[in-house]
Amino acid sequence: MTEIRFLTQIAYNMRQVMAAKESFEKINPDVRIIVEQSKDYFEMMQSFKSDEAPDIIETGGFQVSNSDGIFIDLNPYIAEIEGLEEDLYPGLLRVARNSGILPGLPIEVSPPLIIYNKEMFDQAGLAYPTEAWTWDDMVELARKLTIRDEQGIASQFGFGLGVDIEWFEPFVMRNGGSYVAPDGSTSRGYVDSPATIEAFRKIIDAFRVHNIIRKPGEQSSATDENDESAMTFCFIWNTHHHKLHDRYQVVGLPVMPGGKEANMIYMGGAGITTKSSNPRLAWEFLRHYMLECHSWMPPISKSQAEERGLTEHRIWSRYLKELDHVQLSGYYLSKKWNASRQLINDEIHKMILEGADVAQTLRSWTRFT
Amino acid sequence: MEAEKAACTVNDRQVSVEQAELDQTLVERAQQGDTEAFGELIEQHRSKARGWAERMTGDPHMADDIVQDALIRAFLHLGSLADTSRFLPWFHRIVRNQANMRLRRGGPHRKERPFASMGAAVNDGSEVDWENLDSILYHLASTAAADAAVRDHDPAESLLRKEMYETIHALLHCLAPKESAIFKAYFFSQLQPEEIATMYRMTTGSIYTYLHRSRQKLRKEHIRVSLGLIPEKGGSGMTRSKVLKLPEWPVQSSVKTTFMDSIGRMLAFLDDRHGTAELMGHSSFAFRMKISNQTTFADGIYMFDWRRTLLSFMEELGYKITILCGQLADSPIPLLGAVERFPIVLPIEEAVLPFIRKYIDLGKPVLYFDTLAVKPFVHEWSVIYGYDDEQRIVYLTDQMLPDGKTLSYDDVTDNPVRFAAGIDEFLAKGIDVLAQRGSKLRKQAERTVRFAVDYARQGCDYRPMTSYLQYTSGLAAYDRWIGHLSNTYTVPNRYGMGQLCMVYAEAKRYASLYLRRVPFEGEAMRMVLLASEAYEQTAEALEMLSSTVPFIRSSEMFSPQLLETCITYLNRAKEFETAAIGYLEKALAFNMEEKGRK
Repeated sequence: MTEIRFLTQIAYNMRQVMAAKESFEKINPDVRIIVEQSKDYFEMMQSFKSDEAPDIIETGGFQVSNSDGIFIDLNPYIAEIEGLEEDLYPGLLRVARNSGILPGLPIEVSPPLIIYNKEMFDQAGLAYPTEAWTWDDMVELARKLTIRDEQGIASQFGFGLGVDIEWFEPFVMRNGGSYVAPDGSTSRGYVDSPATIEAFRKIIDAFRVHNIIRKPGEQSSATDENDESAMTFCFIWNTHHHKLHDRYQVVGLPVMPGGKEANMIYMGGAGITTKSSNPRLAWEFLRHYMLECHSWMPPISKSQAEERGLTEHRIWSRYLKELDHVQLSGYYLSKKWNASRQLINDEIHKMILEGADVAQTLRSWTRFT
Repeated sequence: MEAEKAACTVNDRQVSVEQAELDQTLVERAQQGDTEAFGELIEQHRSKARGWAERMTGDPHMADDIVQDALIRAFLHLGSLADTSRFLPWFHRIVRNQANMRLRRGGPHRKERPFASMGAAVNDGSEVDWENLDSILYHLASTAAADAAVRDHDPAESLLRKEMYETIHALLHCLAPKESAIFKAYFFSQLQPEEIATMYRMTTGSIYTYLHRSRQKLRKEHIRVSLGLIPEKGGSGMTRSKVLKLPEWPVQSSVKTTFMDSIGRMLAFLDDRHGTAELMGHSSFAFRMKISNQTTFADGIYMFDWRRTLLSFMEELGYKITILCGQLADSPIPLLGAVERFPIVLPIEEAVLPFIRKYIDLGKPVLYFDTLAVKPFVHEWSVIYGYDDEQRIVYLTDQMLPDGKTLSYDDVTDNPVRFAAGIDEFLAKGIDVLAQRGSKLRKQAERTVRFAVDYARQGCDYRPMTSYLQYTSGLAAYDRWIGHLSNTYTVPNRYGMGQLCMVYAEAKRYASLYLRRVPFEGEAMRMVLLASEAYEQTAEALEMLSSTVPFIRSSEMFSPQLLETCITYLNRAKEFETAAIGYLEKALAFNMEEKGRK
């Protein structure tokens, strides 16, 4: 009996993992898949360094460029199977292959898009946004869609966007800016560039000047927190859980002055470790779990998306299309930048709530990377 | 015109005074460990420092390096700046020293020449010794410099190349022979890992491990070199050692909430002994319970504001402490939800070992977060009670080893979570606390009971900013826990659950013990005693759960029957703790009534 040890950090899809294990073991009766959970990447690395290293590791964050050197390159395995390369979404492969090596197959992929509530637009007598809409169009719509009482307490916000440096990044990218250099070595010349500052200023103004986004700690009289904004910046899981009703529709992120077609992407990854003594068999299971089984939403292959009717779906088809434009965010490129994320978020709060100068604050962030 | 000039001078002076005052405030904040303040200082003076360095060297690239080194040096030694109003002259001196060190080609930079002059060196006819790596590196660096002179439009690339050679140069001195050979085969001979594996009769995986380890050493050594620190081994500095005597720590004093266990041990070193129930109660850890929203992982145990909690609790006990705190940027970090706002720190021993030595030399142990805890634990708080420079080890406690253990200086330096604390002094306020112990105990107990009720009803006020890390605390944590055992999407984590049961069963037991000694009176006391009994029942239910799901490393899954049993115990525990909180609310109400009457 050959054992393949599968270690995962992702907790909420374990039933699908177990189903893939069961079906794989049925086809391969002399193989046993041992599934283990780990609460974070630190524990995974400890497990990797131990005498009982897993064959497959599944992480919540994709290990871009294999910076810790724990995964083998999956490119040769992909190349072996006719048509597989073409079947995988090319945008995903492009970002997953940063620096050439493919350390894993992406999983739980999600770019953000805007989900809007058609009923709220209808009530305000406004036309729905189109793919050509600009940031200024968005602000104008959101101003008309924000409803406040005499005390200024909003029962409805025009736009919904959480305060997180990562969630501001797509707008920065679309303006032609970025947080760090493409090789992640520095933020100097990037986070303090005019394009980044301009995009940031627009976002902060949306909170502070136009009052169209709920500020941190701001009171609201909306009855349903998942439906407090007419337009919401949504990843796939938000949409999946809260925004699939007919009253919702999807549109791309607004066009920024920089005019660049770009977006961020969150993705995990599952790869075969360099310590696996059965990489071939581990690949067989990985392929079964990720490509043959219907485990994740959205799938990473076009054929499975079609098979599941997602390419025709009014919302999911738009998310799949967005995969063509995704880029790697700062947190993938620089661990230092990523580690400083919450210190940076503290300063975003200061810009929104206390009016700290945007350009000066962004220039000061060059100290983080 | 003269008047204008004079006005300008007055204005300049005013600006300069304001700048000095701002500096002083920032320095004082930075000296207290506020890295944000240090960041601001850097912003204020970076370009000025670069100007000084460039004037001295005439080389913009080297000036950048000098400023970078000077900033790190300033950060490490800011504590030694006695007159905080003199930051700028002090910093100027550091920049000057760093520049001189590079220019006179002494110390670790002796092989380095001003980058701009390297092109000239190539033309001096000196031959390259291809057997001598230093010579090769110098030749390569010179070529890069010559290229850079021609291709002046891309200084970034040439800087990068220079930095790479500099790094390799430093690395080759610090690698073990085999590591060095594998490193060279990969980076210089451009061999594939599989080919190297065949050469050395090793697995490809081991080659990757070697390369990874070498890269880590490279990073560390690079920082050491750029700081001008003495080489790790064979240095000429005096080596010392000191090991404090571990005070007796009987099993009944030990508690699995290792944060409190370690604080208790620290105090025992100072002969200030507290009962475990008292510590668990006053610190409120007896009343905390937090469960991850993901599954039954055990990380909720560690999710609180470490700095604030430690500072305020130690102050309440009458102690002033200093905390060393940070995270390493290039290492996987455990417990992100608690560590997410720690500043990035350097992976060098000079940034942590002097702190440990300082307290041990004073006869005081150091609270330490150990990420190499003996299994089944992963990471726990412990107490460092000794060090040995010659063996390069520290002595520390471990939950699984009653006689303690040792960690190497490298282990301590490479710990991705840097959290250490030393006791500086016993405050006068603290003495007052002791003197008026009797009169204050009741107020303290009231605060604790109020905390227990608020925590149970509203949950913990500490919430990580990292959006995907969410936890449920207080009585609602039972529902979350039961939810993990009964929903169809997740699979409960058995290993994590083992630790949750063990830690929380014990905490509830201490809640019961603590409440029995609360100095309330009359009806309020009767209610507290009822709460104590209810907590005893809660503890019993969780102890049953703990014996069903012991804390051991296991990848075994729960059977449906076992899940049912667990849910039964959890429902029972929830019922009793809900009752306990009800009694505590009544006790507080009686106390309020009594105060109203008085």
